[in-house]
Amino acid sequence: MSKSSLYADAPILHVYLHDKSIRRESLPPDLYEHYLGGRGLGVKLLFDNLAPGTDALSPDNLLVFAVGPSTGTSVPTAGRFVVITKSPTTGTIFDSHAGGYFGAQLRRAGFAAVVLHGKSDNPVYLWINDDEVEVRDASKLWGRDVFTTSDELLEATDAKAQVACIGPAGENLGLMAAIMTDKHRAAGRGGVGAVMGSKNLKAIVAKGSGEVGVHDQERLKAAVERARRLIKKNAVTDKSLPMYGTPVLVSVANELGMLPTHNFQEGTFNDAEGVSGEKLLERFSAGTYHCHGCPIGCGRISLIKGEKVGGPEYESLWALGPQCGINDLEWIAIANDRCNHLGLDTISTGSTIGAAMELVEKGKLDAPLKFGDTTGVLDLIDDIAYLRGLGAEMSEGSMRLAERYGAPELAMQVKGLELPAYDPRGAQGHALGYATSNRGGCHLRSYLIGPEVLGSPVLVDRDRPEGKADLVKLYQDLSAAMDCMVVCRFTNFAWTVDDYAEMVSAGTGFELSGHDLLRLGARIYNLERLFNLREGFTAEDDTLPQRFFKPLPEGGSRNRVVHLNQMLKEYYELRGWDKKGRPTEDTLSKLDIPVS
Amino acid sequence: MDLTVEKLAKMIDHTVLKPETTTAKIKQLCEEATIYNFAAVCINPVHVPYAVELLQDTSVKVCAVIGFPLGATTPEVKSCETKDVVHAGAHEVDMVINIGALRDENYDLVKRDIESVIDASGDAHVKVILETGFLTDDQKRKACLICKEAGADFVKTSTGFGPMGATPHDVRLMRETVGPDMGVKAAGGIKTFKDAVRLIDAGADRLGTSSGVAIVEDFRWAQYSDSWMVPDKPCWTCPSRMANMAKQPKEVYKWYKERCLTCPDKEHNIFND
Repeated sequence: MSKSSLYADAPILHVYLHDKSIRRESLPPDLYEHYLGGRGLGVKLLFDNLAPGTDALSPDNLLVFAVGPSTGTSVPTAGRFVVITKSPTTGTIFDSHAGGYFGAQLRRAGFAAVVLHGKSDNPVYLWINDDEVEVRDASKLWGRDVFTTSDELLEATDAKAQVACIGPAGENLGLMAAIMTDKHRAAGRGGVGAVMGSKNLKAIVAKGSGEVGVHDQERLKAAVERARRLIKKNAVTDKSLPMYGTPVLVSVANELGMLPTHNFQEGTFNDAEGVSGEKLLERFSAGTYHCHGCPIGCGRISLIKGEKVGGPEYESLWALGPQCGINDLEWIAIANDRCNHLGLDTISTGSTIGAAMELVEKGKLDAPLKFGDTTGVLDLIDDIAYLRGLGAEMSEGSMRLAERYGAPELAMQVKGLELPAYDPRGAQGHALGYATSNRGGCHLRSYLIGPEVLGSPVLVDRDRPEGKADLVKLYQDLSAAMDCMVVCRFTNFAWTVDDYAEMVSAGTGFELSGHDLLRLGARIYNLERLFNLREGFTAEDDTLPQRFFKPLPEGGSRNRVVHLNQMLKEYYELRGWDKKGRPTEDTLSKLDIPVS
Repeated sequence: MDLTVEKLAKMIDHTVLKPETTTAKIKQLCEEATIYNFAAVCINPVHVPYAVELLQDTSVKVCAVIGFPLGATTPEVKSCETKDVVHAGAHEVDMVINIGALRDENYDLVKRDIESVIDASGDAHVKVILETGFLTDDQKRKACLICKEAGADFVKTSTGFGPMGATPHDVRLMRETVGPDMGVKAAGGIKTFKDAVRLIDAGADRLGTSSGVAIVEDFRWAQYSDSWMVPDKPCWTCPSRMANMAKQPKEVYKWYKERCLTCPDKEHNIFND
């Protein structure tokens, strides 16, 4: 790449796997201006180029790896990348994100995005070494786990390169397959690893030596200095996350009766202290992990039976722990590591195991599974990745598993994606976020745990439905915009909308106010909605499992139910959607989305 | 009022009063106060000369606490302490009232105590900390009236080291008692812009907080949603909810808790929120 290349000048790399040809396309100025990069870029590419009804695991699906205008610059946490595709798990458009160092290398190699088309006849990997791009044979790597694959690829290419790859789960097209980078960081959700596997693409290896240019270096420097200062001043980003990592949330969620236990049958885990962030620090801490350019360092490194393993992070710890009634922290760390080796999404894997345990408990499934019992579960995780026995059925996720055994109500999912580690009965806004997420059950489209639980930026009454539609929309739009920069969600604790807007303005030369940035986010959110409507989703899919309309019996969220209908009506109105959840022509026009 | 980030900042006394405070922390405090143009830094007397030096070319004032945090020393000592900090350059002093004398209804001593500080303060403004968590509402009203009679510039809710911090209830009561021409400073437990806005709405015109930077920075979120200020459960900000028998005299604690029995918002008083 040329020195100090701007994101605007960075091409999109198209790779046609069926004939292994490569094409570079300049980043279309209109696309850049309206969708910025990262998630927005990928969503627009998919919306424009993917025919409705395309089978997500067919060669026709597109798989986009994107970075943003902040990637590889001095903007804190901006070393991430985002994968955009149609999800085989949900059938929705999907963006899945990972930290680590791969994103920065891809950007330094000079690219804005890589778009994978078609399917290779044989297993391959893509080697991006600055300007040089090569599709290489990966037959010998097929069948290898994530760690071995990563080591062998670095040996075959360059020790300073970064790898994003799939494990056996992705190769076998399991719907909970992740794309892993730096071994234990995951673009975990939505079965994006299966899409990669369906293309016979084992990995992308990237190494870049160029410098990343920005529009106004001095202005960005000032904005970044301020941003770093704010991170240092914030209790969450300067104390809680660096000290305990994301598992700090175990105690918080449990205290409020929001720590889903036994497949969301309860909100309080009796042994929460034993699997808390504090206990992880006391018993197993062997260091912290910082992604590229991150001053926070929320990642955990644990010493388990003499070996250093990544994590476990909060969501993984919960899914493989309290969700399954398991209180053995050491085992949880081992199970998490097993998932990383196999390339499995820990949230969906743990949650599906929890659903299977409840199916057994309710007499719907005959299997040697029991809440709180780890016996055979590590083998089951292997079976999920290799599609063996019951594992093959579970590899499709909890929704399909529960339907298969005649109890769909036992799958704790939205639009086919397993819910993460917060019982929605304990936080009304967060519940609305789950229901309206464009990618299904997700806590990161609108992380209202911030204001409803952690008091960031201020504490709002978690029980009140009033005003939550407004906050969910705000967070969804901001998150979409942040995902175009591609920065970490945790910056949200320390920065306001204005800070993101200033960094985008300084980096790109587009003069954006905070309100402009939110409008950009709203444009992306609405385009994703249009994609999903085109795929046949309706307002009826904006819902939650029936369990959440019945009260929790005890704990800090006892007697609560989700007041979804009230919030949903207000949400549609604020979004400018009709009663069927469709953006009106007026809404699309205001957002500069062409009305077809 | 039409509150802006700048106006909010100018109402804040950027505060560090912990005993372990180092010189480096004072430097940081003063730098932040300068960046954000806060009203003042509020510090212990020992740090006044350094803060005065750091802030000499700014509009940020230096405020020192007197008889802090117990207020249980003599008028003579408070007077001496005041003279010392004013001589060192302090522009404002926040003194702690004689709480025990107030509860004894020894109002002459309470007034003399305040007057001793006012007399020693020269041009510096005097704020009188009532430490409301030790008082019933009638005692708070009486304290406000004595402060006004003595010629203090402000009444202030709390030290931050006492049984409870500032509440809208107390600020409203104090504002109603002292009228519009005297200052009311809310202090103690003010951590978010929502706390700050509520207290300003209740009548405070100065806020003492160690979270000034977060409050001002997070206030930028206010322009993007009105929902931050949707009312919470009334108990959240009620002093009766914060009452704590381990920290309060028994009869004061009981007085707070008895208010709950006749409170119109009684049904909101659940303790798993």
